[in-house]
Amino acid sequence: MKTHRRSVKLLAASLALTGLLVACGSDDEETTDAPAGTEAPGATEAPAEGGDTPATGEGIVLAVNPWTGSAVNANVAKVVLESLGTPVELLDIDENATWVGMDDGSIDAVLEVWPSGHAADYETYITGKQSVVDLGLLGPSAKIGWYVPTFVIEEHPELATWEGFQDPELAKLFSTAESGDDLGQFLMGDPSYVTFDEQIIANLELPLKYVVAGSEAGLITSIQQSIDEKTPLLLQFWQPHWLQSKVDLTEVKLPEVTEECLASAAAGDGLYACDYAVDELYKAASAGLEAKNATAFKVLKNLQLTTDQQNEIAAMIDSDGMAPGEAAAAWVAANADVVAAWSA
Amino acid sequence: MALATASGPSNATAPTFGVAGTRRWILPVATFGLLAIIAIAVNPNVPSWMDIGLQKWVRDRYMWTVQNSNSSWIFTGVFNPLSDAINWLVESVQWILRTLRWPGVLALFAAIGWMTAGMRAAVSGGLAMAGIAVLDVWEPAMVTLSIMVTAVGIALVIGIPVGIWTSRSDRAERIVRGFLDTAQVMPAFVYLIPVTIFFGIKYPPAVIATVIYAVPPAVRLTSLGLRSVPTVMNEVGESFGCTSWQQLLKVQLPMARKTILLGLNQVIMMAFGIVVIASLLGADDLGNLVLKGLQKNDVGAAFVPGLGIVLLAVALDRISTGERSTSTRPPLIKLPTVERRTGTLIALGSVVVAAAVAKLADITAIPDALAVDISGTINDAVGWVQDNLRKGVPIIGGTQAINDFLVTDVLEPLRKFLVWLPWLLVVVVVAGIAYLSKGWRLAVGCSICLLLIGTMGDIPGGADGRTHLWDLSMDTLSQVLVAIVISVAIALPLGVWAGRSDRAQQVMRPFLDTAQVMPQFVYLIPVLFLFGVGRGAGVVASVIYAIPPCIRLTGLGLREVPYTPREAAISFGATKRQELVKVQLPLAFRSIMLGINQTILMVLATVIIAALVGAGALGLVAYEGFTKPIQKIGQSAAAGLSIVFLAIVLDRITQAWGTSPEQQRRS
Repeated sequence: MKTHRRSVKLLAASLALTGLLVACGSDDEETTDAPAGTEAPGATEAPAEGGDTPATGEGIVLAVNPWTGSAVNANVAKVVLESLGTPVELLDIDENATWVGMDDGSIDAVLEVWPSGHAADYETYITGKQSVVDLGLLGPSAKIGWYVPTFVIEEHPELATWEGFQDPELAKLFSTAESGDDLGQFLMGDPSYVTFDEQIIANLELPLKYVVAGSEAGLITSIQQSIDEKTPLLLQFWQPHWLQSKVDLTEVKLPEVTEECLASAAAGDGLYACDYAVDELYKAASAGLEAKNATAFKVLKNLQLTTDQQNEIAAMIDSDGMAPGEAAAAWVAANADVVAAWSA
Repeated sequence: MALATASGPSNATAPTFGVAGTRRWILPVATFGLLAIIAIAVNPNVPSWMDIGLQKWVRDRYMWTVQNSNSSWIFTGVFNPLSDAINWLVESVQWILRTLRWPGVLALFAAIGWMTAGMRAAVSGGLAMAGIAVLDVWEPAMVTLSIMVTAVGIALVIGIPVGIWTSRSDRAERIVRGFLDTAQVMPAFVYLIPVTIFFGIKYPPAVIATVIYAVPPAVRLTSLGLRSVPTVMNEVGESFGCTSWQQLLKVQLPMARKTILLGLNQVIMMAFGIVVIASLLGADDLGNLVLKGLQKNDVGAAFVPGLGIVLLAVALDRISTGERSTSTRPPLIKLPTVERRTGTLIALGSVVVAAAVAKLADITAIPDALAVDISGTINDAVGWVQDNLRKGVPIIGGTQAINDFLVTDVLEPLRKFLVWLPWLLVVVVVAGIAYLSKGWRLAVGCSICLLLIGTMGDIPGGADGRTHLWDLSMDTLSQVLVAIVISVAIALPLGVWAGRSDRAQQVMRPFLDTAQVMPQFVYLIPVLFLFGVGRGAGVVASVIYAIPPCIRLTGLGLREVPYTPREAAISFGATKRQELVKVQLPLAFRSIMLGINQTILMVLATVIIAALVGAGALGLVAYEGFTKPIQKIGQSAAAGLSIVFLAIVLDRITQAWGTSPEQQRRS
C-alpha cells in the first residue's frame, strides 16, 4: 500500500513538473528561444511537414547522402536558394531512404544520383509511378573500376591490365586468409554499389576469389593497410572519392565496354565481361516540387557543376577542413556569374 | 534421465518409455538412426521443390506498398496520422528539453535520480549528463534523448500489458514468444526501408525501429516478474478478498517490481543499441555524427558521439533503476532523510531554478573553455593499438596471425564441413540434441525451424550461379558457433571474478556498459585494422557485443546464491575453490545458462554487423535488402528469417540446458 501511494505522488510530481515546464516554456518561446535554438531540429522541421500550406518561397528539404560530393552540391544549392528567399533544410540520409522520402514528398530533391546503383529506383519512381522527376545531369561523371595501389604496378607492370591477373602466380600475390592460398582476393565494398565483379572474374576466368568487405570503411581500411604494409590489394573502387587525393591508386584496365556487354548487363544473363560504363551523375526531385516552389525547381534544374568545380569545393572540405556550408558560401561568392545563370 | 519425468505435460510421451531400464532407449535410438539413414540416402542438397516462394511473395507485397503508398487508405488514414503523432511526441520532448536548456536538463536528471534511487543515482545521472555537455555534443544528444524517451515510453505502454497477459496464459506466452524472438533477432536492415515507406523519414521510423527492438525485454521481464510472485502471496491476497485487478495492482506488480525495473533497464539498453542504424533515415542525432565520423574513417570523430550515446544510456539507466548492485530491493521512490513532500518540492524547485537561471543568463551552449575535444587523443590511442597489436606481439604473433588462424584453421574447415553434411542429417542431429536436452516436443520444434530454412529458396551468386540459403545458414552457423565459444570462454571467468569480488565488479561495470551500448560502428574501423576484412573481424565484433550479458548474469548468479549452503560447505571444511565449484557454480547454474543464452542471441543479433566487416553469409544478404530494396527485399527477408530460425533453435536448446539440473534436483 505504501508503494502505491508513493507512485501516485510520483505521478502527481511529474504532472506538476510538466505544468511548470509548459508555463515557463511558453513565454520562452516567444522571446529568446527562437534565435538561441536555431540549430535545434524542431525549428527547421516545419518545411518538411508544411506540404499543405503552399506559398511562394516555401522551404524545401534537400537530401545529403554520405559522401563529400553530395554535401558540396546540396550546400551550394542551399546558399543560392536562401539568397533567393527559399529556406533550405539539409537532411543527412541514406541513399535508398532518399527515394522513399522523395516519393512521399518529405524530401524535395537530391542533387547527385549515381545511375548505376539506382536503375531500379529510376524505373520504379521516375518512369513508373512518376512520383519523382529527373532534373537532368549534374555535370561530373563518375567511374567505378578495378584498382590496385600504384606500388603494385611498379613492381609488376603486367598487372596494369586484366590479362596480368590470368597468371595464377601473380594472382596469388593477392591471397588472404579469406581467399585461401590458391586464389587471389578481389575485394568489393558496400553491396549498395552496382557490381559485375563476380561475373567479370568468372567470364574472364581469372584465378580470383570475390570477397565482399560489406562497407566502405572496410575498403578504406584495407587500402590504407595495403599501402602501409606494402601488401598487394585488388579492389573495386571509384572516382571521385576523397581518398583518391590522399593515396596513390591505379585503375586496372579491363576489356573495353561494348554494346554486347551493355546488353548483357540489361538482360542480367550473367555474361558481363568488360569494364564499368561511365556514370553520368544526375539530379532528381519530388514530383510535387514544381507546384510547391517553382523558383527552387528552376534553380535546381539549372544547377550544374563541372568536375573541377565540384573537386575544388570538395578539397576545401576534405583537405582544408572547412565546414561544407562555409566552403559552399565562399565558392558561390567567388563565382557569382556561374550561379546567376541558374536562376536566370 | 530425470529430464523426461519432470517437465510436465510438454513431453508427456517420453516417460512412458521409461518403464524398464534399457527399453526406453530403443525407440529414440531407432527413430533417430532410421532418420539419419534416410537423411544420408536422399538428396544431400535442399531440393528445389521445397522453395515456398517467400522471396517473391515479400517482394510483391513490397512493390504493392511502393505503388500505393500515396493513395491507399492504409497510408492516408492510418500510418500517416500515426507517424504525425509520433513526430509530435518527439518534437514535444525536444521542445521541453530546449526550454530547460542544459543546466535545467542536468538538474532534471539529478532530481529524478534523487527521487527514484537516492543521492548516488542523482550524482551519477547528473555527472553523465555533464559529460555530454563537456563533450560538446549536447544538441544532437537531446535529439537522441527525445527519440529514446518516446520509443521507451511506447515500448513500455505496449510491453507491460502484453507481459501481464502472457504471465496469465501459457498459450499467450507461446504465441507472443515467437514474435518477440523475431523482433529481437531479425536484423533491422531488413525492415528499415519498408518502415520508412509506412512511417516516412526522420524521427517516426527511428522511433518505430527502436520500439521493435525494445519491446521484447519489456514483455519478457514483466511476465517473468509476475510469474515469479510466490503463490503464497497470491493466496494471501485472495483470502483478503482482492479482486483480480486489486490482486494485480496491489500484490503482483509491487512484488514483481524488481524484475520489471530490470526490464526497463534492458529496454533502455536495447533501444540504444539501434541509435546509429535508426539515424540512417535522417535523424540529426548522435548516431548521425557517428556515421559522419565513419564516413571519413575518423575513429576519434565517431568515438565522441559514441561516448555521448554511452553516457546518455548510463544516465537514463542510473536514474531509472538506481544502484541495483548494492540493494536487493530498490525502492521506486525513496527520499533520503528529508520528508517526502519537501524533498519532491526541493528537487522540482531546483530544476525550475536551474532552467530559470539558464534563461536569464542566456546560457545556451556549454562555454568553450569547458568543452573538451578528445577525438585527437582517441585517434592517437587507436593508432598505437593498430601499430603495435597487429604484428610482432611475442608468442601469439599479433591480431593478424589470430585472424589468419581463425579463418584458415577454424572457420573455413567448419563451414566446409557443415555445408558438406547432407542437409537433412544436420536436421536429424540437431533434433537428436534437442531430444536429449528436453524431449520430443523440442526435437520436433527444432526440426521444423531448420526445415523452414530449407523452404527459403536460393539466391543468385556463388560458384554454381545460385546459392541456397541453407548453405549460407551453415556459413553463418559456423561463425556463430565460434563466436559463442570464444565469448563464453572469455565471459565465464570474468563473470566468476565479478561474482566474487566487489572491486572487480565495480571496475568492470563501466566497461560492460560501454561494450553493450557503444555503437558497433565506432569500433568497426579499429577491428578492421587489427583483423583485416573478413570473418575473423566479424567474430571479434560479435564477441565484444555479446560478452557483457554473460559476465553480468554469471556474476549476479554467484551473488544470489544464499549464504546458508555456502556456510554449510565452509563448516564442512571446504576450501574457497571447493566452495566455488561445488556450491556456488551449481546453485548459480540457471543464471549462468541464462547468460550464455543471452550471449547466443547477442551473437545472432550482430550477424549483420559482422557482414559489414566482411563476414558475408546471411548477414550480407539481409543487409542487401536495405541497399537495394526493390531488387533484393525478398531475399533479404528470407535471410533475416533464416537468422531468426537459427536463433530460435540455439535459444531453445540452451534454455533447456538451463532448466534441466533444477528439474533433476526436484525429481
